[in-house]
Amino acid sequence: MEFKLEAHRIVSISLGKIYNSRVQRGGIKLHKNLLVSLVLRSARQVYLSDPCPGLYLAGPAGTPAPPPQQPGEPAAGPPAGWGEPPPPAARASWPETEPQPERSAVSEAPRVGDAVPAATVTGVGDVPQGGEADAAEAAWNRVDGPRQAAAGEAEDPAGGWGVFPLGSRAARRPCGCPLGGQDPPGTPAATPRAACCCAPRPAEDEPPAPPAVCPRKRGAAGVGGGPASCPAPGSTPLKKPRRNLEQPASGGEDDDAEEMETGNVANLISIFGSSFSGLLRKSPGGGREEEEGEESGPEAAEPGQICCDKPVLRDMNPWSTAIVAF
Amino acid sequence: MAGAGGGGCPAGGNDFQWCFSQVKGAIDEDVAEADIISTVEFNCSGDLLATGDKGGRVVIFQREQENKSRPHSRGEYNVYSTFQSHEPEFDYLKSLEIEEKINKIRWLPQQNAAHFLLSTNDKTIKLWKISERDKRAEGYNLKDEDGRLRDPFRITALRVPILKPMDLMVEASPRRIFANAHTYHINSISVNSDHETYLSADDLRINLWHLEITDRSFNIVDIKPANMEELTEVITAAEFHPHQCNVFVYSSSKGTIRLCDMRSSALCDRHSKFFEEPEDPSSRSFFSEIISSISDVKFSHSGRYMMSRDYLSVKVWDLNMESRPLETHQVHEYLRSKLCSLYENDCIFDKFECCWNGSDSAIMTGSYNNFFRMFDRDTRRDVTLEASRESSKPRASLKPRKVCTGGKRKKDEISVDSLDFNKKILHTAWHPADSVIAVAATNNLYIFQDKIN
Repeated sequence: MEFKLEAHRIVSISLGKIYNSRVQRGGIKLHKNLLVSLVLRSARQVYLSDPCPGLYLAGPAGTPAPPPQQPGEPAAGPPAGWGEPPPPAARASWPETEPQPERSAVSEAPRVGDAVPAATVTGVGDVPQGGEADAAEAAWNRVDGPRQAAAGEAEDPAGGWGVFPLGSRAARRPCGCPLGGQDPPGTPAATPRAACCCAPRPAEDEPPAPPAVCPRKRGAAGVGGGPASCPAPGSTPLKKPRRNLEQPASGGEDDDAEEMETGNVANLISIFGSSFSGLLRKSPGGGREEEEGEESGPEAAEPGQICCDKPVLRDMNPWSTAIVAF
Repeated sequence: MAGAGGGGCPAGGNDFQWCFSQVKGAIDEDVAEADIISTVEFNCSGDLLATGDKGGRVVIFQREQENKSRPHSRGEYNVYSTFQSHEPEFDYLKSLEIEEKINKIRWLPQQNAAHFLLSTNDKTIKLWKISERDKRAEGYNLKDEDGRLRDPFRITALRVPILKPMDLMVEASPRRIFANAHTYHINSISVNSDHETYLSADDLRINLWHLEITDRSFNIVDIKPANMEELTEVITAAEFHPHQCNVFVYSSSKGTIRLCDMRSSALCDRHSKFFEEPEDPSSRSFFSEIISSISDVKFSHSGRYMMSRDYLSVKVWDLNMESRPLETHQVHEYLRSKLCSLYENDCIFDKFECCWNGSDSAIMTGSYNNFFRMFDRDTRRDVTLEASRESSKPRASLKPRKVCTGGKRKKDEISVDSLDFNKKILHTAWHPADSVIAVAATNNLYIFQDKIN
């Protein structure tokens, strides 16, 4: 659970960094954005694989994947090295190092990453309102679909992640508390955005569904980003996010982050949604701008390691495209 | 110059007592961003010390000759020349501002009375000539002393201009501008031992230039993937071998170093040697990839070793052993548990440099809280020193500092949580022969010497 919170927090921080890098002087720094995207990928993996039913409360799909996966899997010894193409059995060995199984939930993360760069491509000025927000929110519902499907498969994203939980646990516990003793204000609101980023793509394909997911969105999202930088107890986090959203951001982040965090979540979704739609129409390799200084999505960079089912693969491509365009 | 006569340069670690010598820069608490020093480099003799800052300026200090009348000014560095090297530019095609921050300065070996250096920002490299002028011609025919042109028809007699002494004036003039060769941000330049060529490296490409030719450069490394979505690593630093003009190395964000031989092929995408230390799986975290990214790579003066700096450590490699480094020195291991916070405040992306002393027996690199670390390779001892105004009394010895990692904090120790992460020492330089070091702390340049010197 705590890993999920930490991962979620890191996802939102990472997205904030990518978002802010647009306006940094000197142009987009390829190196830094590459590193941030790697962290994003790691955090996304952990976040989506950490089975915490409590986080997905009142969700239409319930838990993304059944935990029982782990006991039934045969132990296969230590997983392959980080970043190496994992043998299929490597994933099975994860339970040895980590009580909770690593679910290859690649479906959600790509969209997360996609959305932010996509937004930057179109510019924050294109803030569609109203209907698109509904569509985006509705699409958020559909996130569970592919995720569930993906979870059920023997996925093995970017192999070697199996070792990850143990190491990350060791790293995360101490660093759960920031040095300054204060969470970056961008976190609470960023997480809903991160979660909602999943929305846009499905929105492309499906007609809007009723936007009933809002409370769940905020609940799930806020859990990771609240002041509980240390793991929060199971039930109380639900309340925290709403409080955080209402509270003014405490200092720390710059104005850009502040803007993002207090912005209307639906607006953000729609921003990403609209940007995303444009990207989807383009060819995967193209992206919106073929600038040299673009960021790239390393997630798609290890073809040998991703054994995803079709929906997930479909998700991956646009995300990478979006990052490229960004 | 005291100490310069000694054959081997003394080790820099604990054998000597480092003392404060000078500090350059304003004392204000409010530091203008443009004043932040972004690179420090001694020239080949050590008589000149160049600094570049975020405002695009280069300041060169010259070491004073030892003076009997002022015995205490043992080789003080005083301002020699200041000039604006780069200006902010705007790339209209991409709607990008190009920062004027000086990323690197590299001196050329001195071949005549003038000094030459290369300075670079993100996109453009410039060759500057720094020359002294201490004579002035007087008695021109076509212009009078004010410089106004004379009417040729009014001239009735001709005279030969004569040279008269004047106050020393140091002029810096741009001799070459090497532009438009880099799509990404330049992170390194390195002058070749042939004194004719140099390389410049950006995130994905390395170009080879001839110092005389500005309209062409040869691309010798290109790691840009056909599909940018497949990008997994970028080039972070590159350097020519100090003696073998065909050999250079470049480091990557994945913690690898590749040594390339330009004789093997025109495009050195395939390395001759590949240096990588296998990762310790037990120390995996979200940030393992970031902290393994190499921020600086430097050959030893001998050319037999090289040193790489990643976020938490410095590694010394033997060029003949690719499998693992010869030595690994922890710079600030106590930060390993703070990586998440350092990620949040962006400190984890700080690019620390490292440097060798003249005899390759010691290495130095910076840390936070204005601390810098020295590792003596012979005695295997290390020391943490601080560049601060408090310990800036003339010839005051620097007291070793210690960071308390947990448990009871002893007197004079500083706890990890009290470290000031805004005070970072990214750039340090070691005199090529003497025990003199230059340490850049934000907008201040500290110069330390050892007592014996």
